[in-house]
Amino acid sequence: MTECLTKTSKKVLTKGNYAIANAAVLAGCECYFGYPITPQSEIGEFMSGKMQELKRAYVSAESELAAINMVLGACSTGAKAMTSSSSCAVALMQEALSYAAADELPVVLVSVMRAGPGLGNIYPSQGDYNQATIGGGDGDYKLIVLAPATVQECVDLTYKAFYLAQKYKNPTVLLADGLLGQMMEPVEFKEYPYPEVDNSDWALTGAKGRPGRIIRSYAPLADNQCEFLKKLHAKYKLIEENETEWEEINTEDADIILVSFGSPARNAKSAMKECRKLGIKVGLLRPITLFPFPSKRISELADTAKKFISVEINMGQMIRDIKLAVNGKVPVELINRPVGNPPSVEEIVERIKKESEE
Amino acid sequence: MEKNFIIAGFGGQGVLLAGEVLANAFMLDNKNVTWYPSYGAEMRGGTVNCEIVMNDSEDVSSVNKAETDFIVALNQASFDRFLPKVKKGGWMIANSSLVTEAKTRSDINYMFVPMTKLADDLGNTKMTNILSLGVLAKASGLTDPKLLENALDQVLPPHRKNLLPLNCKALKIGYEYDLSLARA
Amino acid sequence: MTTLTQTFKVPESIKKGSKFSFCPGCDHGVAVRLVAEVLDELNLRENTIAVASIGCSVTLYDFLEVDSLEAPHGRALAEATGIKRARPDKFVFTYQGDGDFASIGMAESMHCALRGENVTAICINNTTYGMTGGQLGPTTLLGQVTTTSPTGRNVEYYGYPVKIAEHVALCDGTAYSARVSLDTVPNIKKAKAAIKKACEIQLKGLGFSFVEILSTCPTNWRMSPQQAHNRVREEMMPVFKPGVYKDITEKEL
Repeated sequence: MTECLTKTSKKVLTKGNYAIANAAVLAGCECYFGYPITPQSEIGEFMSGKMQELKRAYVSAESELAAINMVLGACSTGAKAMTSSSSCAVALMQEALSYAAADELPVVLVSVMRAGPGLGNIYPSQGDYNQATIGGGDGDYKLIVLAPATVQECVDLTYKAFYLAQKYKNPTVLLADGLLGQMMEPVEFKEYPYPEVDNSDWALTGAKGRPGRIIRSYAPLADNQCEFLKKLHAKYKLIEENETEWEEINTEDADIILVSFGSPARNAKSAMKECRKLGIKVGLLRPITLFPFPSKRISELADTAKKFISVEINMGQMIRDIKLAVNGKVPVELINRPVGNPPSVEEIVERIKKESEE
Repeated sequence: MEKNFIIAGFGGQGVLLAGEVLANAFMLDNKNVTWYPSYGAEMRGGTVNCEIVMNDSEDVSSVNKAETDFIVALNQASFDRFLPKVKKGGWMIANSSLVTEAKTRSDINYMFVPMTKLADDLGNTKMTNILSLGVLAKASGLTDPKLLENALDQVLPPHRKNLLPLNCKALKIGYEYDLSLARA
Repeated sequence: MTTLTQTFKVPESIKKGSKFSFCPGCDHGVAVRLVAEVLDELNLRENTIAVASIGCSVTLYDFLEVDSLEAPHGRALAEATGIKRARPDKFVFTYQGDGDFASIGMAESMHCALRGENVTAICINNTTYGMTGGQLGPTTLLGQVTTTSPTGRNVEYYGYPVKIAEHVALCDGTAYSARVSLDTVPNIKKAKAAIKKACEIQLKGLGFSFVEILSTCPTNWRMSPQQAHNRVREEMMPVFKPGVYKDITEKEL
């Protein structure tokens, strides 16, 4: 499996985890630091061989704490660096993600969600929507969060994660779930499609012929911290304006709009089509960026749709962002599975039938 | 057209590999295909299954299907577990070496093939999984031995390539098995 | 008329016009200066990436004219690992306190040494958490009174202090581990020699190099600078014995 992946115009049947790892290599990732956890261990396994073969950096870190901090270190030099992990172990990384946001470092984290809280189990889940989009680190910070729904998107959005991280000097999360990580689909590994971002004005390279640079988050004076936060949030606003991405189908005339990200969005899409066959006007909005969230678009659609339904594998997390966007204009309901595979198409259709009758 | 398949057995029977070969065969036939495994903490010995969804259209396939068009059950536990999941008019293809022949549902098609015995006759029990793909190809008409052979060539790692001829034989035995016997 | 030559000056690696913000009598200032002198002497300033850690040591980047990264508490050697692996041609060192290195960051520190990362770590051991107001730390001596050991460190509640340089020396990836003190001028000279040796070991690519510096914290110890240095000598040095605990270059002799 690991040997056969390189750049190819031919489609290859690839597991989500390998697709992410190979895409990272093709995106020019120079350093991988990681610690094993199911269901994403294939990423580290692939990287251990590939990075050494390419004479790039690889460390089997002693913990996720160490792994993410190694990424911060590598990123501070302008290198493209990443780690990958899952749920309870991404929890360990929250401190460093807050630092990375404050330090404005282009960290890339692949988070392949499993069930929590605590150790939970290795079944797929979307229970870390909040962990990724709100975060568990300290302070007012934001991570860019990208959510693939297919194995091909695992490739495309890994490329994009490296680019956006560099472009905005902001930690970026590729948020997949255990199902996508283990799923195989034919994918194409095209060339990394984004321009390289010049980091020569901030990267630590040794203070040759110039004063020393400091990458820091410590702001001893309150005024400094206010200015810094304003600047940081101006950047987040820019990201919202430029980078919000979603897929939208059949929403123009829709009475009910399903909102779903990641693997459940596949079933939501099929359910939408089934409902259309039954004459129920259902549309789908699939957020591809979770931060920035397509709030503005959802708010617009709330003027014409009669109801929104969030389809998630958790107890209802993204639904909060939908409600904020809808702002009370119409009801927002939830179709969910707490953990495991996404709600089945049949389940979603049945529920939509009920909701449309109300 | 969309068709889905579940291949199930106990750990070590090569269920996931068989699924991967089938998925590759569909890919080589320019179909959209999605493969995903069942989950379990077991490394060996537990029951294992994977689902393959094949799709003709441009659409992304849905997952976690309530019903299945074709189920390949390599052991009794899988047969019992997945029998209720066979779609009306769908197929239960069972390894009769390890599964008791019983037809408790009248709305589906059954096929009982002594796959393990046939693999043993070929000289390698481990060929059971690939042999089952031959049977599946014949029963479904959705793929053929040539595509499966090419898929095997892609899936087998370099250090297992020496087993390719034997695997191809197993495919052929499965494909050419007298289906009138299987339905009996 | 005699020509005067300046023989003692501010090192090039110290930021122009910077003033140390450390408390009077604190040895951090001496330690930072020694590091700066060594960077000058080995001509490393323009090729260095320093990692500052949390605690009083974080202010390192305000005084050194080098590229610096601030690490979260305890993670300095993880960040240093990332930097060195990404840019092996850079000179990479951390400047940490004992709490950062040997309490919250013990795992990162020891594993960095065990992997034999080709970086240098300087650890200031002042037997207390200085910046937060003098609480008990991993190196607080038995009997020592701190704000969280009001009747003195006892084994029942607090366990034993850690001898950092000895533990680091046990790691196979460690090329050099030494403990020095700054209580007298001769010892300051020895300390500088140890720092220089540690840096040279990194330049030779031999593995992890480490210097533990016994240091004062007059403010939290409630002592004058003189009393504080007496304490280093009389109370710390008998437990934390200065010396070279590992030096793989010695074998070459």
